[in-house]
Amino acid sequence: MSPTGAAPGRAQSRRTLRRLLSARNVVVAAATALALLLPLFGSNFFVEFVMTRTMILGIAAATIVFLAAYGGMVSLAQYLLAGVAGFMVGNAVVAQDAWSKGLKLGWNPWVAVLFALAVTTAVAFVLGALASRTTGIYFLMITLTYAVIGYYVFGSITPLSGFGGITGIDPPGLFEDHPQRMYLALVVLSVLVYVAFRVLAVTPFGLALQGIRDDPVRMASLGFNVSLHRTLAFTLAGFTAGLAGVFNVWWNGQIDPTSISIGPTLDLLIVAVIGGTLSLEGAWLGAFVFVAANNYLRNLPLVDHIGITEARFNTIVGVLVLLIMILSPDGLAGIIDRIRLGLRRLVHLSRGSGAGPAEAAAGSKP
Amino acid sequence: MNTDAAAAASADRRGSLLNLEAVVVAFGGLQALGGVDLQVWKGDRLALLGPNGAGKTTLFNVIAGDVKPTSGRVTIKGIDCTELPARFRPRLGVARTYQKTRLFRGLTVEDNLYLAQTGRSGRHLALLRSGVDAEFRERARAMAETVWLADVIGVTAGDLSHGQQRQLEIGMALVTGPEFVMLDEPASGLSRGERERLVQLLLSLDPDITLLLIEHDMDVALRAAQRVMVMNEGETVASGTPDEIRVDPLVHAIYLGSEAGLRGADP
Ligand SMILES: Nc1ncnc2c1ncn2[C@@H]1O[C@H](COP(=O)(O)OP(=O)(O)OP(=O)(O)O)[C@@H](O)[C@H]1O
Ligand SMILES: [Mg+2]
Repeated sequence: MSPTGAAPGRAQSRRTLRRLLSARNVVVAAATALALLLPLFGSNFFVEFVMTRTMILGIAAATIVFLAAYGGMVSLAQYLLAGVAGFMVGNAVVAQDAWSKGLKLGWNPWVAVLFALAVTTAVAFVLGALASRTTGIYFLMITLTYAVIGYYVFGSITPLSGFGGITGIDPPGLFEDHPQRMYLALVVLSVLVYVAFRVLAVTPFGLALQGIRDDPVRMASLGFNVSLHRTLAFTLAGFTAGLAGVFNVWWNGQIDPTSISIGPTLDLLIVAVIGGTLSLEGAWLGAFVFVAANNYLRNLPLVDHIGITEARFNTIVGVLVLLIMILSPDGLAGIIDRIRLGLRRLVHLSRGSGAGPAEAAAGSKP
Repeated sequence: MNTDAAAAASADRRGSLLNLEAVVVAFGGLQALGGVDLQVWKGDRLALLGPNGAGKTTLFNVIAGDVKPTSGRVTIKGIDCTELPARFRPRLGVARTYQKTRLFRGLTVEDNLYLAQTGRSGRHLALLRSGVDAEFRERARAMAETVWLADVIGVTAGDLSHGQQRQLEIGMALVTGPEFVMLDEPASGLSRGERERLVQLLLSLDPDITLLLIEHDMDVALRAAQRVMVMNEGETVASGTPDEIRVDPLVHAIYLGSEAGLRGADP
């Protein structure tokens, strides 16, 4: 198989290079380049509204995908964790003399970010530890409970959520009045999160997490502390959701308990499902489809006859999710994967080579 | 702690590795084990025989910590493990396979064999690869060779054939470098040739490794073992050398109805 005669070192590096240049990586790199260049030709609305929102939701949804694809845990608590970070930022940065509610600590915005991420990570650790003994539908139910309880906790502790929300939350000077910079920062953060999750998958930690996904009983009998491992993965996902939450509150300028209620919680799950819960890039793809549908589809002819605006959007997204689930349980990413394999098989057929099925059998990997 | 250490020392002197005292396991009203005593010595090759539902796998589960006994005591290397969760067993050098394979179906053969080693070492929380990992990888590849999986080392475990999955199951137990291996029906579903290979593999194991083997295939069991214990309805009904067991009238009586099933292709 390997080229004979080549020095082992060179063969190794050539193999590494070939692995890095897989079709998947090339497409992701091209998409990243496009996203970075977008401000040069995209409309302000598209960049500052549609795409900025896409990146925020994409990062948050990627934490769901990470937990589901590598850990076998479908979490409904990710939007809550983003919300915790948002509330912490809000309470920390709003100045004492501002016309707003909350703790009004008036801190430096960057200190507020560190504080928010620390709190979110700690909350994620505790919630993760409590849920770490469950799997499957029970894990889903526990995290759903977290989301509901979180909503009521913030709703009832009014000093923290400032009766009906905290307003006037300004991003740091770097981003204030520079929405394009915020967008670019989000693209960079998205890439970092994406790469970090993919690299993590091949570390000892990530492999063990996938082992736990496949067979927790075997893992325990091999000496692994399964619940600790799950807890740490959940904590990491919580921290990352916190990053999305920080940008979300900067972008919105405000946060209230309703914004972390069951509605947005389910929206985030829908984003992950549209993209495909088994593929990381699906998170951003799903986010884009969701945000685009939210912004553009409601004005379509025919659709504009369905009820009021919110009902229109929900109808469209509902039908969309239904279609995708029927066509491909792995979401859009799964559909793309199948098209890719189909094309490759076609190429093989037209070349008259019989070596198609082996490659086709190697399905999509997270 | 002190008494544990003392007990461990005395057990070591006697060479006793595993001690079961009056182990009872009840699932609701069903008594799967009705007070089993068992002593296994270092280097023992013990086969566990018995008809379906005799409680063999349950006995394994108790030793491995996957099932807590309703009453009784489990001592491994002089340490009372009755209440100790399964994940502490590898540190005592215990490894097992499962009757119904438990593989990491989404990972490659190599990653399965690699992961099997990291749990015991504490390396699994690491985010960076290190020299230890290279060693684990090396050993994983060597083990793939040993269990005849070298040519499918990059294939995901879920895509392996049934026989290959059974081989990987055994590899995952052996690759941990265990002192005490428990194999639950390793030959089930294997072809005649594969069974022969398996017997040769078992016979070639380091004589210091203690082996506890559940096997419906009498031929495999009696060749690989030096000592045999026969169970029926949760109790030990006979034990002795393979030659003694071969001619034991009680064993024949228990097996008579199901002789064909025992010798033929077991599901
Ligand atoms: N988790 C469980 N819950 C309830 N009953 C169980 C459980 N595990 C085993 N049993 C029952 O305990 C009895 C002994 O089962 P066990 O699996 O130990 O038998 P075995 O000797 O391994 O049989 P086989 O040769 O079929 O593998 C059986 O009647 C089985 O149905
Ligand atoms: Mg059994």
